[in-house]
Amino acid sequence: MLALDNIETFRGPAKILHGISMKIEEGEVVAIVGRNGAGKITTMESIIGLLRVKSGQISFRGENITRMSAHSIARRGIGFSPGDCGLFSSLSVQENLEIGRWHADPKRIDKMADGDTLEKRVYSVFPEIEGFKRRNSLKLSGGQRKMVAISRAMYLCPSLLLIDEAFEGLAPVVISRFRDALKKIKEMGITLLMAESNFSNASLVADRVYVLDRGEVLYEGKPKDAMNDPRVKKILQG
Amino acid sequence: MDIFILQVLNALFYASILYLIASGFTLIFGVMGIANMAHGSFYAVGAFVTAWSLGFLQSRGVEPWLLVFFLPLGAIAVAILGMLIEPILLRPFYQRAHEYQLLLTFGVLLIIEDGIQMIFGSDPLLVDMVIAPFGSLQIFSFRYPNYNFVVIGTGLVTAFLLWALMYRSRFGVVLRATSQDMRMASAMGINVGKVYVLAFGIGSFLAGLGGAIIVPTQTAVVGMGLEALIIAFVVVAVGGIGSQLGALIGALLVALVRTAGVHFVPEIELAVLFLIAVGVLLWRPTGLLGNAP
Repeated sequence: MLALDNIETFRGPAKILHGISMKIEEGEVVAIVGRNGAGKITTMESIIGLLRVKSGQISFRGENITRMSAHSIARRGIGFSPGDCGLFSSLSVQENLEIGRWHADPKRIDKMADGDTLEKRVYSVFPEIEGFKRRNSLKLSGGQRKMVAISRAMYLCPSLLLIDEAFEGLAPVVISRFRDALKKIKEMGITLLMAESNFSNASLVADRVYVLDRGEVLYEGKPKDAMNDPRVKKILQG
Repeated sequence: MDIFILQVLNALFYASILYLIASGFTLIFGVMGIANMAHGSFYAVGAFVTAWSLGFLQSRGVEPWLLVFFLPLGAIAVAILGMLIEPILLRPFYQRAHEYQLLLTFGVLLIIEDGIQMIFGSDPLLVDMVIAPFGSLQIFSFRYPNYNFVVIGTGLVTAFLLWALMYRSRFGVVLRATSQDMRMASAMGINVGKVYVLAFGIGSFLAGLGGAIIVPTQTAVVGMGLEALIIAFVVVAVGGIGSQLGALIGALLVALVRTAGVHFVPEIELAVLFLIAVGVLLWRPTGLLGNAP
């Protein structure tokens, strides 16, 4: 579904990604794990087109999207929920959500099963949103903001959803709530690519993990085997 | 009493023009973060294009009452000009420091001012034949031209339409989202380039409309854009940059103060205006309705 082939990306003069390659298959939940500065968010922003890739290629469903603008990539069905949620604070929750729907490719919405709608999907994952959808997005708790950010990306009717730090800053009881939500999203046939600093949180839902360090892939495989690699163990456990 | 009513009407007339210029300026700044120094020149182009077009149509035998329907020609021309300038000249500078944007838009101002002289010449243009078909209204001991009410109404209708566009339309939601976080907006599928062109086009149209509707009452003269720009700056600074309601309140306040200044202390009317602006900025550095950065 998504393939990154030896991509290199800079932030200003600093080279952040040093030839990253990844493959994500349809229906998978994949987590990119690493410490701060490892290149997780840079990888995500390179995929979504918010950062220009210097070299290498990114392809989505066989189409080269490396040089495409962010809005073209989003309309092709890649949703993005950033770590800081990125909600538009001058808009209500409902308006934040609607923006996704207005820019979704109608063909993908048409392909949804009979009786299935974007609202049904979102409210089945986060029914709480119904209760605060008229509220200004500034007046939300951290957990509510994350719910809206993920839901807004789901309103784009994506086939691939990128979620940066889904569990960061959440109370333990809420983490299990989000883990269940991500499993539900997976059951809808949406492929998930997550960026996580916390390995144990990532291993709650991920089928596979990529461990990054200093812009390079250090490990790729099942979460349960990751700690067998001494380099990964050293990085993730300090 | 007569004088008071006359001055209030004059202030409302002036406020309407100021609002049209300032609302366009503040819209462009709010969405793109650019303080467009050429905005006053857009107002001048609106005035010149309208004056020239109406003069041309009149010379071809078009009836004066029909000419009023061609007033928006200047605004449309300016909107097209703005929609060309934004992607070609301004967009490459959005990521640069503000001083580059100021220099660039100041350069555009100079080019437009020279362009006006080259195309329309240095002679003032007036199309006051549009006013007569509207007639006038007797208010106590004086007659007030009905055309001025059209100008006041245009300001009010524009304020309502802008509010509806910003807060009751899909485009308004997209515009507010883009103005807040253009990167996130593009990640949500919004074509930010298209939004910028449209926003700049609307902002330019408003300035052009100001020029187009004032030209039947005041001559279009070379340099009129610069004065408009300076007063628009005062309006936006008083009202709060980026706020449409601020532009409306700022325009009303500035127009009332200037009208009163012209009446009572004509020698220092501009100084009074700037003193009021300084007072407001000392009290609220972000303007009356501006948000703290």
